[in-house]
Amino acid sequence: MPPPAVSCSAAAVATRRVLSRPLRPTALAVKSTTTPSPTITRSIAHSSRPTASSPFHSRPSQLKPTCQPSPATPLLRTYHSHSHPPPAGPFTPAEAQLLSAAYAHVPAHGFTPDALALGARDTGLLDISPAILPDGVFSLIQWHLHAQRTALAGKVGDVLAERVVKGRSRGNLTVAEKVEAITWARLRGNEESGVIGRWQEALAIMAQPSYVPASLKELAQLADEILYLAGDVSVDPSWYTKRASLSTIYAAAELFQTTDTSPELRETRAFLRRRLDEAAQAGGAVRSVGEWLGFNAGAVVNVLRSKGVRI
Amino acid sequence: MASPRPILRPLSHFRCSALRPTSSLTRTSGITPVRQLSSSPTFSAPPTPSPPSLSPSQHHQQPPSASAPKPKKPLTPAQQSFLSSALRVNQAGELAATLIYTAQTPPLVAREPHLRPLMRHMYDQEAGHLRTFNTLLASHRVRPTALYPLWSALATGLGWTTAMLGREAAMACTEAVETEIGGHYNGQIRTLLEMVGQWEAEGYEVGEEFRELIATLRRIRDEELEHLDHAVEHDARKAQPHWLLTGVIRAGCRGAIWVSERV
Repeated sequence: MPPPAVSCSAAAVATRRVLSRPLRPTALAVKSTTTPSPTITRSIAHSSRPTASSPFHSRPSQLKPTCQPSPATPLLRTYHSHSHPPPAGPFTPAEAQLLSAAYAHVPAHGFTPDALALGARDTGLLDISPAILPDGVFSLIQWHLHAQRTALAGKVGDVLAERVVKGRSRGNLTVAEKVEAITWARLRGNEESGVIGRWQEALAIMAQPSYVPASLKELAQLADEILYLAGDVSVDPSWYTKRASLSTIYAAAELFQTTDTSPELRETRAFLRRRLDEAAQAGGAVRSVGEWLGFNAGAVVNVLRSKGVRI
Repeated sequence: MASPRPILRPLSHFRCSALRPTSSLTRTSGITPVRQLSSSPTFSAPPTPSPPSLSPSQHHQQPPSASAPKPKKPLTPAQQSFLSSALRVNQAGELAATLIYTAQTPPLVAREPHLRPLMRHMYDQEAGHLRTFNTLLASHRVRPTALYPLWSALATGLGWTTAMLGREAAMACTEAVETEIGGHYNGQIRTLLEMVGQWEAEGYEVGEEFRELIATLRRIRDEELEHLDHAVEHDARKAQPHWLLTGVIRAGCRGAIWVSERV
């Protein structure tokens, strides 16, 4: 395969800067031709998020996230229905086609405009077509993150069954064991998809200030997904602490993984286990202190009541 | 329990409009033409055994013909965010209610032992509601409110303070809280019925998930209003100054609801 024409991809980069903003509204306007155009222009101009007062007189053209920089779901975590079909993913069909083709070139070419240009050629699109991506190369990274995260739900059965066979525990795994197994499956996904050799580049792009919010959001969604799949049902403040600690541990383990050369990434797995154990110990200590304080406060109140103090 | 009717009379208007599900329904515009699809006013009747596994055809967007099994409509982002904030605020409210009763019971029962069964009964119902919403939050992946510790502290303080003020103040607190909560649940039920009615009008299936949710909210609302009646029966109106106490508590409730829907 000939190396991609540098001039072509450079042109793509240059044009993307110019074209990306005007292009997305145009694509939207073409998509929803059934609605009268004043509505569309208005919805684009205000980047409309529907008001809470009348959310149910649905006007589909207005309810779609329009020209927000990251076309993901508007809120980080919303009501998850078990019987209704899921809402559309964050990528439009055209973007998905281009990104899935470009993703195949990531192991060889990295998260670069070259990979995007090669992907565009593979799908028979014009070389300029990566300009439809709102964030260019970062969209390719988001594609990887999104694909790996959504693949976890399909893998979880096998992962947990494997964990039961390997571990000595018969039958029921604890939530902590499931979290460890699923997090490990996600880290394996970096290796299986072949992007781990290029992941440091991706982390550098994700750390660019304009991409940090989207990257953190993706990390939070991953932690939420792992805990949900592991069957964690806490709905008190520990909901937040569990997600925060798992996000931190995952990010650290992933960074460790990029430099790990041990066979089957044994070192990474050991690193992950140590971090999770430490978090569990810290959580246990905090819980013990809280229990002790609560017990003593209750005892003080009860002693005073038994002495006749009317409280 | 002998109910002093004269005291209940001022409430009769509220009870009529709140407890009877159909009367509030017919007032909402746009629902009436759809009603014949769900003949039962309570929405609990014929549990159509819809298979939980979605056939591929159910993913299509357009409403199908009448013969085929009807699909379910994907939730819009606005509906999703309404549902998540509704469940979140309900959980926060029930958490606060259990803590209010927990804090009220010891000082109150020490002075008026005959109130023990009533407080026990109301606490048990609130604890059941809290369990219901905890389950719903976990299964629908809704974030709990970030101000959980703050609401816990405020609710405990409110319960303890009103109980120290005496039985009338404690009951006035219950009256104020349950009045707000009853109206709040009614608003949610009304919105859900509008949403479900629109699905039916467009030819989509309304699954068990939403029928059950509406039935659960109705049951809980009725139990909350039952607490309101108990409070009024136990001299909530004799608290001094009643208007100030209930006014402050109701304003606090509304503020807490507003915040919990967002944070």
